Amino acid sequence: MEKIKNTLKKWWRLFALFHQGAFLDRRMAVVRKEAFDINDNLMLLLFGDFIGIPNPMSYYMLELLPLMADELVPWERRIQNRKFILAEKAAQYDFDT
Amino acid sequence: MKRFTFFGGKGGTGKTSCAASCSLSMAARGVRTLVVSTDPAHSLSDAFNTPIGNRMVLLERNLWGLEIDAEAEAKKYTDSIMEKMLHLVSATIVDEIRRQIEIAYMSPGSEEAAVFDKFIELMESAGKDYDAIVFDTAPTGHTLRLLTLPGILGVWIEHLIEKRQKARKLMEVAARYDRELAEQLKEDPVIEALSARRDKFELARKILTDSETTVFHFVLNPEKLSILETDRAVGMLGKYGIPVGGMVVNKVIPKGAGPFLDKKRLSQEKYLCEIRERFASGPVVELPMLEDDVQGMEQLRIISGLMGAVC
Ligand SMILES: Nc1ncnc2c1ncn2[C@@H]1O[C@H](COP(=O)(O)OP(=O)(O)OP(=O)(O)O)[C@@H](O)[C@H]1O
Ligand SMILES: [Mg+2]
Repeated sequence: MEKIKNTLKKWWRLFALFHQGAFLDRRMAVVRKEAFDINDNLMLLLFGDFIGIPNPMSYYMLELLPLMADELVPWERRIQNRKFILAEKAAQYDFDT
Repeated sequence: MKRFTFFGGKGGTGKTSCAASCSLSMAARGVRTLVVSTDPAHSLSDAFNTPIGNRMVLLERNLWGLEIDAEAEAKKYTDSIMEKMLHLVSATIVDEIRRQIEIAYMSPGSEEAAVFDKFIELMESAGKDYDAIVFDTAPTGHTLRLLTLPGILGVWIEHLIEKRQKARKLMEVAARYDRELAEQLKEDPVIEALSARRDKFELARKILTDSETTVFHFVLNPEKLSILETDRAVGMLGKYGIPVGGMVVNKVIPKGAGPFLDKKRLSQEKYLCEIRERFASGPVVELPMLEDDVQGMEQLRIISGLMGAVC
């Protein structure tokens, strides 16, 4: 358990670091963004009913909660705040060009 | 004799009576047998005239009974998840999780999923405390959903795993210049958990589609609706590769039962012919309508004596 928690913590710190983009060049930022988007979509498939999208298999997804708890709250914030997501997208395009 | 024997069919045709009788004759032959009800509306206790519940009970020499309690199983599952949550620090997160668990509890697939988990667990432990399991199933629709779950979910979980792996691959690309970070990316408990699930579904699918270990018998009555429903179900099992065994035609009215019943018997005969034609690929067993309900060992033994061709 402790090991899993540590791995998670590392993972999350990693995500956070990516978010700050402190050490990434611009191309890496786009890749990072895509990774985030894919993961956000995945979270939607896993925990969609959290935000009102029915998921017939949500029962089996419960066991992932302890493993993804740290990702959950920021994800929910991102997914629920459309403006934020749009802004993020816009920023991404600015970045690119 | 197969390791896993299912009795299924339309509501009220005699699935429970047949499963109970079959388990009794297996046990009598010295096979350590477990008879399990996956029907949320259990009636195994009535058939054996003994209380059975979510704990295995000894019914006879070599024979144990169990009625799966979906709610109790779901509770065990969610409790174990909550326990893991306690190691996490943030109270808001724990609250979110609790909310999520409550939503999932009420979602339509939960009961089936809970039954299914127990069902896999029982099949996995076959060969240890018991050699064979006889399943008394719920009426057709519920059971088909239950048995086809691993095939459907397997594909879905595979998709989830791919998505997570793809996200991680991209992260690795982004972390290319940082060896330490790349190292940290190696393990992912989420992928491990999803893979464990997938493997469980795959195991269940393997067992259910293996004609060496598994057989699904239908119990029907000599009447139109029960034939039609069985026909559809046979097609469905075929599609998922679950081996169909024989047809047990229950509640056949015996000859010379009086003028009223003789008439009824004539109509039954027509349907019996139809059953023999339609389901010609396996054995067809006829069981007589008894004067009393099938309840208690004595009645069950009468039935089991007649089921030789399928049990
Ligand atoms: N051959 C028979 N003769 C007389 N009564 C029978 C016979 N078979 C079953 N019964 C009675 O018919 C009723 C339904 O039988 P049973 O419970 O075995 O069916 P089932 O298919 O399991 O029903 P359900 O779909 O409700 O689970 C019971 O009361 C049982 O005792
Ligand atoms: Mg029954």
